[in-house]
Amino acid sequence: MSSPRDPVEITVGYRALGNNALPGLQDRLEKRTVQPKEGDAPPWDANTQFAYVGTDVDRVDGLAKATGRAKYSYDITFPGLLQAMILRSPVAKGKLTGLLLDEAKGMPGIAAVVPLKEIGHQVRFVGDALAAVAGTTLHAVRDAIERIRADIAAEEHNVDYIVADKAPQLGDGGQIDEPWPESKDNEIEQALGTAAVQHTATYRVEVQTHSSLETHGGVAKWNGNDLEIWLSTQATFGVRGELARALQGKGLDVGSVTLHAEYVGGGFGSKFSAGIEGLAVCLLAHAAKAPVKLMLDRFEEHTTTGNRPGALMQARAGVDKDGKIVAWDWRSFGHGGFTGSGGSVAVPNYYTGAAKVRRDHKELVIDTDPPRPMRAPGHPQGWFGAELFLDELAAKAGIDPLEFRLRNDAEAIRLDQWRFGAARFGWDKGRAHQNAPGARLLRGVGLSSARWGNLGNQGRPPHGITCRIHQDGTVESRSGAQDIGVGLKTVMAIVTAEELGITPGHVKATTGHTSDPSGPASGGSMVTPSLAPAVRHAAFLAKQALVEMVAKHLGVPMSEVQCKGGKVGAGTAQLSWADACKLIGPNPIDERGTRQANYDSKPFHPTQCGAQFAEVEIDRATGVVRVLRMFGIQDCGLVIAKKQAESQVLGAMIQGVSYAIHEQRIMDKRSGRMLNGDFLRYKVTGTQDLPELACHMHSIANGHDSVGAAGLGEPPSVASAAAIANAVFHALGTPVRHLPITPDKVLAALASKKG
Amino acid sequence: MKPFTYVVPRSLQEASEAGKQPDTVLKGAGVDLIDRMKERLQTPTHVVNLLPLKDALAGVAVEANGELRIGALTTLTQLEQHTALAGRAFEGLRLATGMTATPQVRNRATVAGNILQFTRCWYVRSEAHRCLHGGRGPTCLAMTGENRFHAVLGWQDCVRVHPSNLAPPLLAMGAEYTTTLGDKVTRRKFADLFPAEPRAQNPEHTLLPGEVVTAIHVPPQPAGARSFYCESREKLSFDWATTACAVRLVMDGDTITAADLVLGAVAPVPLPRPNAAKLLVGQKASEQLFQKVADAAFAGANPLAHNAYKLTVGKAIVRDALSHATRQS
Repeated sequence: MSSPRDPVEITVGYRALGNNALPGLQDRLEKRTVQPKEGDAPPWDANTQFAYVGTDVDRVDGLAKATGRAKYSYDITFPGLLQAMILRSPVAKGKLTGLLLDEAKGMPGIAAVVPLKEIGHQVRFVGDALAAVAGTTLHAVRDAIERIRADIAAEEHNVDYIVADKAPQLGDGGQIDEPWPESKDNEIEQALGTAAVQHTATYRVEVQTHSSLETHGGVAKWNGNDLEIWLSTQATFGVRGELARALQGKGLDVGSVTLHAEYVGGGFGSKFSAGIEGLAVCLLAHAAKAPVKLMLDRFEEHTTTGNRPGALMQARAGVDKDGKIVAWDWRSFGHGGFTGSGGSVAVPNYYTGAAKVRRDHKELVIDTDPPRPMRAPGHPQGWFGAELFLDELAAKAGIDPLEFRLRNDAEAIRLDQWRFGAARFGWDKGRAHQNAPGARLLRGVGLSSARWGNLGNQGRPPHGITCRIHQDGTVESRSGAQDIGVGLKTVMAIVTAEELGITPGHVKATTGHTSDPSGPASGGSMVTPSLAPAVRHAAFLAKQALVEMVAKHLGVPMSEVQCKGGKVGAGTAQLSWADACKLIGPNPIDERGTRQANYDSKPFHPTQCGAQFAEVEIDRATGVVRVLRMFGIQDCGLVIAKKQAESQVLGAMIQGVSYAIHEQRIMDKRSGRMLNGDFLRYKVTGTQDLPELACHMHSIANGHDSVGAAGLGEPPSVASAAAIANAVFHALGTPVRHLPITPDKVLAALASKKG
Repeated sequence: MKPFTYVVPRSLQEASEAGKQPDTVLKGAGVDLIDRMKERLQTPTHVVNLLPLKDALAGVAVEANGELRIGALTTLTQLEQHTALAGRAFEGLRLATGMTATPQVRNRATVAGNILQFTRCWYVRSEAHRCLHGGRGPTCLAMTGENRFHAVLGWQDCVRVHPSNLAPPLLAMGAEYTTTLGDKVTRRKFADLFPAEPRAQNPEHTLLPGEVVTAIHVPPQPAGARSFYCESREKLSFDWATTACAVRLVMDGDTITAADLVLGAVAPVPLPRPNAAKLLVGQKASEQLFQKVADAAFAGANPLAHNAYKLTVGKAIVRDALSHATRQS
């Protein structure tokens, strides 16, 4: 039922944050003419009255998760299911010179043993996979693992990026002590020369691991030559193809692989690949001719599935007498594990539009597992360094940090967010607080910006969604993409319900089976902006099919029939949703929506902005930092599932608290092995440590497609640690330039201030 | 987990006899033991489960002579919530118990289990690291490796710290403990439970094979007795102390007439500091006094490469414990 569409005039933008109550904040609404694709749903805009979009709809799978009815890969089981483990290298660097598997193969209960590394190949880190074993119990498997003889010719290793080749020379207090290379035409030096105030400092962050609650792994089952696999992954289609390619030798093509990831216990960027564990479980199941389960333990999860890498960063910059940045010179050194890539650092670019800018990054190689993308890769590191540097620079120039941002931030939307957030948080009061001389508990407030940019993977070929309306009035919305816990199912239910004029409870949303239409990986904050328009398109097409039936039944023109408030009809001629659906035959309405390209016209806001504020209290005597409260404002285009969106922001803040003051990987330099590869001594912020958290979702009618949703997974995680570090700087009067801000570093900072 | 025989004793004597067998562990709640067995850090042939003896070995009671008897299998929650711990004399023990681990763990973990805990040293608890502890390797790896949570005091050849929250307040209060070994019942000073020479080859405690701790006894506290417990930790939720201090004072008006002070989490054993405590006797509470006591408590400290911060923190914790213990109400 597609028809060509005329251009449509819509209203984009947003109404004043705080309802015009704050000075400087007003409506930012603009008219746009957009050209929807043929057959697509008409665009939603700033004037659309929503029944469910943007409201507090409960997470649709919350109860299933809370009661254990939701089955994760970890929960999948079959009669005769075998258990499996991987033999890992105890050596950080060397060459595999021998791998004797025969004894393990002959052990009681052992069904399969497969090598995962060839003789002569390099061993790259402690935990590098050597072989995998499947057997009747984990105990039998562990016994067999202990009987495999792996000979490794060990070589000298280094797991400390501070002393890696190409790492910069560090001087007093961990500051980079190397001259800056001369800039092109000497422009940085000249600009710095004109500055009224200059500053330079070095920043450092340690490794944070993804720490997904569900570890990597899954269950593999061969049905003849076909492979069925339940995998904890954030890229169902990518991993399916990856496995098919890797298992070509077993006669497998991609069409013969069915992958399930209906529920996934987190990923944060670490689960884009099948990984060695995904491949091993398939090989073991093939060799054993039985279903096999292989889930990593927590130590393996910490040490072999990637991380947010550590980095050294140095900035030098200057401001003119008006407090505008005139020069910005930045260099960073990130460690990429043994691959020497993935350690990059991102920094904000919206403060330095008028300045002479230079950025340089070098990757360092160490003998650990490589980083993997982690929630805004490179950003929390770089924003910590850059935003704390900005506060130090502002302090030197005698400018309040908020005022400094207002003078330099080039993004109009964030300027609104700064003003709104500062008022809501109570910035002026928090900033004016003076710690009494000799006070034991020192309070301080800090802020940081956030930024991201994702308006959806438009798909080539386009991603799809299935929408079915059944005779009994139930509706299915199905995607083969995965919901890794962020709320895709709820988004699908809300958008479908909104389009069909029914409650979200009518809609069953299903995700994660590759038999359903393809969708993107959960990366780059891509899934909701990519799929929401496709969900809507599918519902829109299904609606048209239903409307046609109802129009015919009621004898009214199709163009007058509406689906609204649980009714379908025109004027006084209305059918209840249930009665309307009875017109559907035994076969459901079954429509496939697709992700069209974004409109050609300019979106209102091509990126995502945010700002966060934090207040800390520091015990001067023990050096312990407590984050008391945080407030975040975040835009993400149209807010669809408000509760889940808020949960993304609050969850990012929690992860940020953990990054700022608790989490760090501690490596033993001699063995190259992580010492705190568990959840006892790898300290993840707990419930009692949480600040009072609040956020405001800044919904924007963006006008880039029929829905206008933008990415949200990454942006709120960019700001949190930086805001906390700035609050620590305010409280102490001296910065702590090295995350996490643990008691030893606070005490050292206080001591150096005194000295 | 490696297979083991699971012994369910019908009596204390049976448990003790079973415990004398080689390669046997006595299990209370098993909060930590089960984890270590799963990881094969400990692979006993026999596990004697003491929990069936709960009827006899759990519970808190005030004896006729005013002594507090804490059954070895009393859970931390039972202890914390017992009315006998309500007053200021027992405040230190109550606080130490209530801040241990998580509510779930406290509902399960036993008093004796907490006191007899295995070290949390990340080298000792790693199969891959062969350190001097238990004779697994030639040297203490933490001494020259990563040691931010390790000992700053009283260490010799092994820099592990004692992880028990309950041991410092019990030591400070002059507790005693009773054990059964076969048919022999012995009552000793609490300090005897920990090795006088906390070396790598010595276990965390001095119990003989088959010796079962059955009860802890806290003597009746005189009028004017107060106790307090403070610890520093990086996280409030489920963390171990980086430093801890238990104090017990007897006050006569404003004057401290008796004092005991025990440090936790800074040495391989819970560490009484009598020289620091005696500075308090005959004195009135003051910041200067507490500072002097704190300095004395850490006198002779020998921090490692990454844990000197523990001295600053630990002294603050000592001052805190004293200032809370001497507060007016």
